[in-house]
Amino acid sequence: MSIREILAAVCIILGILVFCCSILGVYRLKYVLNRMHAAALGDTLGLFLVVLGLLILGKDMFHMLKYALIVIFFWVSSPIATHMIAKVELLTDKDYEERMRGK
Amino acid sequence: MALSEKKSFWQKLKAWIDGEEILINADKYISTREKPELPHFAKHFSTENVRSNKKLYRLMSVFVSLVFIGIMLITVTHLPTFGEASNPSNNEVAERYLEQGIEETGAINFVAGMILDYRAFDTFGESNVLFLAVICVVMLLKRDSKNISAAEDQENAEDDVFDMEDLKLILKKGSKTIAPLVILYGIYVVLNGHLSPGGGFSGGSIIGAGLILYSAANGQKKMQTFFTFRTFTLISVACLLTYCGCKSYSFFTGANHVGYEIPKGVPGAILSSGFILPLNICVGLIVACTMYGFYALFTKGEI
Repeated sequence: MSIREILAAVCIILGILVFCCSILGVYRLKYVLNRMHAAALGDTLGLFLVVLGLLILGKDMFHMLKYALIVIFFWVSSPIATHMIAKVELLTDKDYEERMRGK
Repeated sequence: MALSEKKSFWQKLKAWIDGEEILINADKYISTREKPELPHFAKHFSTENVRSNKKLYRLMSVFVSLVFIGIMLITVTHLPTFGEASNPSNNEVAERYLEQGIEETGAINFVAGMILDYRAFDTFGESNVLFLAVICVVMLLKRDSKNISAAEDQENAEDDVFDMEDLKLILKKGSKTIAPLVILYGIYVVLNGHLSPGGGFSGGSIIGAGLILYSAANGQKKMQTFFTFRTFTLISVACLLTYCGCKSYSFFTGANHVGYEIPKGVPGAILSSGFILPLNICVGLIVACTMYGFYALFTKGEI
């Protein structure tokens, strides 16, 4: 086993751990904004770590560029989607102030 | 000629040829006949009637379901055993697809060859179903003076004003970079449907997603500068008709395409393999229009 493979394995396992945390958070937390925070963790850090591991393992330049594209696409689109959901929640939730002050 | 007169055979024949009705003792019949009573379907099948017979209704529905289940189960017993080696699906069909798929359809992607050549009419039906679904939603949800009240209209106008005031800076900047790429990728998937995995349905839904993103960021007003209800109907109907025309060559050349050499697909060359490419484009456009149409109708009530 070369150093490259070990490095890749560490990255991928870390990424999977982050994904596990995010899934745990989605089921554990109750409020929308908290849940969204947990879900966004997997989409950004978890995905980045997994793809980083695959990048290290990659042999072909073309394939590595494709992996990088996946990360860029997710890092552009996922925060925008999260932002829009949070905005709708903030605009439509009547008990928002109460919830923020009370707890 | 009075009807009470006794007619001779020739007279009767002449009348029959001319199309007159022949009645023996017609005057008597007319004077004594009763008006036929028309059945009152509305009386028998009114909702009150059904409601009062709720028990019978339930029993009957259970009975009808049981009859259908029985018919289906009896049919199942006639089917060959699942997974047996001698089943036709296990040897003949798959073998023929794999061995002669390229010669017969010209598509390198076997799935495209299957859905657009061997089962082309099935795909045609699916496209029609999509179109019909959108038309039904249009009938139910399209905003016009008949099905919308003044209060709802005002609510919509307020929503529009709110939408205009909302800057949505992040979404707009994001969609500016992502939406063209998404649509471009969708077009790539549609155009390479016969050469690589993908095709009309998947590529069309990607294009639809790009259109939805653009519409969500920039508003329906801006979308309507290039995509109105008229364009929607024109694209859908034109694609369905093109599909129909492309596929009807099977009728003119015979079921086995006698006298028509299908050009083979060449990996990397988009303009190869005959009719699969235009058919893929048609299906892709219909799917894209359908996706965007549903989104627009459910949010604003108009395309």
